[in-house]
Amino acid sequence: MFKELDPILHSQLRLAVMSLLIGIKEAEFTFIREKTNATAGNLSVQVQKLKDAGYIEVIKQFKENYPQTICKITPRGLEAFDEYVKALQQYLQAGKE
Amino acid sequence: MENQERFSPEESLSIIRNMIDKTKDTVADDSFYFLLWGWLVFGCCVSTFVMKVWLQFPYHYYVWFLMPVGGIVSWIYGSRQAKKQRIKSYVEESLDSLWIGVGFAFFALVLINMISGETWQKAFTYYILLYAIGTSVTGRILRFKPLLYGGLINFILAVVSIKYSYDYQLLIGALAILISYIIPGHLLRIRYHQKRKSHA
Repeated sequence: MFKELDPILHSQLRLAVMSLLIGIKEAEFTFIREKTNATAGNLSVQVQKLKDAGYIEVIKQFKENYPQTICKITPRGLEAFDEYVKALQQYLQAGKE
Repeated sequence: MENQERFSPEESLSIIRNMIDKTKDTVADDSFYFLLWGWLVFGCCVSTFVMKVWLQFPYHYYVWFLMPVGGIVSWIYGSRQAKKQRIKSYVEESLDSLWIGVGFAFFALVLINMISGETWQKAFTYYILLYAIGTSVTGRILRFKPLLYGGLINFILAVVSIKYSYDYQLLIGALAILISYIIPGHLLRIRYHQKRKSHA
């Protein structure tokens, strides 16, 4: 029986954001936008969806008088990402057999 | 990157791999601190030896007042780097914690030496031990062998140094700094520039 792929993560941009954040402690919104080549508007929407799912934490603060948005993965997000990768492995294994 | 919902598991895997690769080598240029403190302490050790042993200058220890200058330069550089930094990695955070701890240990040792008035004669044994801990752990975290081996050699130099007087401990201290800060610091800078070039 295949595990269903988490619909929150099974989206190219949301998966890219989660994959960027998985190996680091936190990243600025501008860094994520640059690395994913996404538009600010689209990225904002996807980041909000990840936040609503409890997968990432979004911190809005000021740095040198400029607004700064910082994203970091939550333990729940980490768990969901782990589950997603396990499900992917199942699909890939099935494809080989 | 468009937000298409239909894509294969292979494509998912490729996105994950691609994004992880983009953050894998984002370690900052840490060589600055090794080179700053390396050359500063090396210069102080050698010049104290020359002034004390060869020139017999009574105020040879004045050169050590340069240490707070190193602290101020480090602080200014660190705060400028923090402004530029757009991500914080676990590696950077662990290194910061390690060196803050080592920094406090150095400060405590300086106070101990000043208060006791005697322990400074063997002070370098303990300073070299702190260089050893800081550089070997950093070498392991950064997976950078010159730092790791430099740090490990310092453990041996710390043991050897206890048999020598303060004058010769200065030279052993200079050797320890050369092996664990200066040489790995220059190699770390080369590695950083090579990585930046390959990512450009």
